[in-house]
Amino acid sequence: MARSVWKGPFVDAYVLKKAEASREGGRSEVIKIWSRRSTILPQFVGLTFGVYNGKKHIPVNVTEDMIGQKFGEYSPTRTYYGHAADKKAKRK
Amino acid sequence: MARIAGVNIPTAKRVPIALTYITGIGPAIAHQICEATKIDEQRRVNDLSDAEVLAIREYIDANLTVEGDLRRETTMNIKRLMDLGCYRGLRHRRNLPVRGQRTHTNARTRKGPAKAIAGKKK
Repeated sequence: MARSVWKGPFVDAYVLKKAEASREGGRSEVIKIWSRRSTILPQFVGLTFGVYNGKKHIPVNVTEDMIGQKFGEYSPTRTYYGHAADKKAKRK
Repeated sequence: MARIAGVNIPTAKRVPIALTYITGIGPAIAHQICEATKIDEQRRVNDLSDAEVLAIREYIDANLTVEGDLRRETTMNIKRLMDLGCYRGLRHRRNLPVRGQRTHTNARTRKGPAKAIAGKKK
């Protein structure tokens, strides 16, 4: 079920604070965040976030299309290199 | 023979049924079209007057996206997800289920027919 509109989008407070700080500081650096559950807000467009995937921070350059989605969607948590059998089959 | 929304030539079926032959029109929307154009749902396509066919055509043009336009829209949406590099896009790229279904078993609609795995025996 979708989130109630009256609550507004969910964003962890520290993400907002960090984003604002980097906005004001001018220097565009990767903002490291762990909050994969936070919504991407319009004011984040143009910033680069390092979204934690459980192992390291994946740099995500926020564009307009991403607004409304969560940070976690841009930082895959699983690595999968395929099965050995599949690769053999492909080589033939 | 009636041409509605491009190439579609529905048959001697009831109007709402015939309309569902158009991509993007299902039973619900077909019913809605009949209501808006005041066509009795028991009537068949071959006894519609030209004016009524025109009314249906105009209603579809004005209110709905169907056929090629709709297909284009869907593929564009999927392409957008793939270009974005988000999780849903990745799943589309790999032809795996997008909405969190299990892939240990099943998921055959997306994965296609099962491939035999060498050395896997009971």
